[in-house]
Amino acid sequence: MKLLQCPVNGIRPVSEFTYGGEYREMPDPDTCSDKEWAGYVHYRHGAPGLKKEWWYHGPSGTWFIAERNTLTDKVSRTYLYGQENKA
Amino acid sequence: MQNVVLQSPVAFAQTSLKPEMGFINGMAIVNRYSDPDVESRHAATLAICDVSCLTRFAIKGPAATDSLKAKGIELPGSANSWSRHDATLVMRLGNSEFLLEDPIGVQQCKELTEQLQSGDGVHVVLRNDASFILSGELLEELLAQVCAINLSGPMLADNQLAMTSIAGVSVVVLRQEVAGQSLLRLWCDGTFGVYLWETLLNIIKELGGGPVGINQFFNSN
Repeated sequence: MKLLQCPVNGIRPVSEFTYGGEYREMPDPDTCSDKEWAGYVHYRHGAPGLKKEWWYHGPSGTWFIAERNTLTDKVSRTYLYGQENKA
Repeated sequence: MQNVVLQSPVAFAQTSLKPEMGFINGMAIVNRYSDPDVESRHAATLAICDVSCLTRFAIKGPAATDSLKAKGIELPGSANSWSRHDATLVMRLGNSEFLLEDPIGVQQCKELTEQLQSGDGVHVVLRNDASFILSGELLEELLAQVCAINLSGPMLADNQLAMTSIAGVSVVVLRQEVAGQSLLRLWCDGTFGVYLWETLLNIIKELGGGPVGINQFFNSN
């Protein structure tokens, strides 16, 4: 059974979680160029490596960030959005 | 105006068992399914009881904590834990999300429903949950078949509650003493109630248990 650490509820089977896509910084739509904005909307970087991803714990309704190596499928850490620098 | 009789979310799955019905908080609920001796044996071995009729009140939002405190409700200190305010069960499902449930004869949730409305920083949540009691010495054998995490260990100790999946359904679960018996309380979305009831009851019957009415744990009228 694959397990994932929810930052609020602790370790749970991965069947309780839903993948929410890669976390990407949004460029400021008021100041960025059309090319930058089109790149943000349409392009995805598919090469395997360490990525920040949105994940959702269904039973508790918790969205959080997981840092996952998509080559090895190892999750190095998980945290609530905005709490990246908390211990 | 006609008097409305509420149905339990799992009533549809119970009618074929030809139970004896009663009324609690305006909801038709099963008093008992069979002989009290048989039900007592089931409750000691392995049993499921529908207690969806108990009154609930749920609130969330950044001002939810202050709203409940202003009403004099004592709250659990941390998320994923529960406590009692007088006889009312107070569950803290997150930093700013609460679910309260009254035992029979207590009006706390009804009063809060009348007094608190959604507004700035608070959202009153309608909870039409299916709510069950699971009891008996074979509880762990049942859970081993339907739940991917071990609820028999420290996860539910010290007034902790867990939000997890049972038979694929998102549930809130906690361990509680009712009428001197250690048992599990379980809440899930009402629309999953029939599925969860039937799934659990099938396994319970295989293990030698059965359904019990609410009279096993509470007195209805």
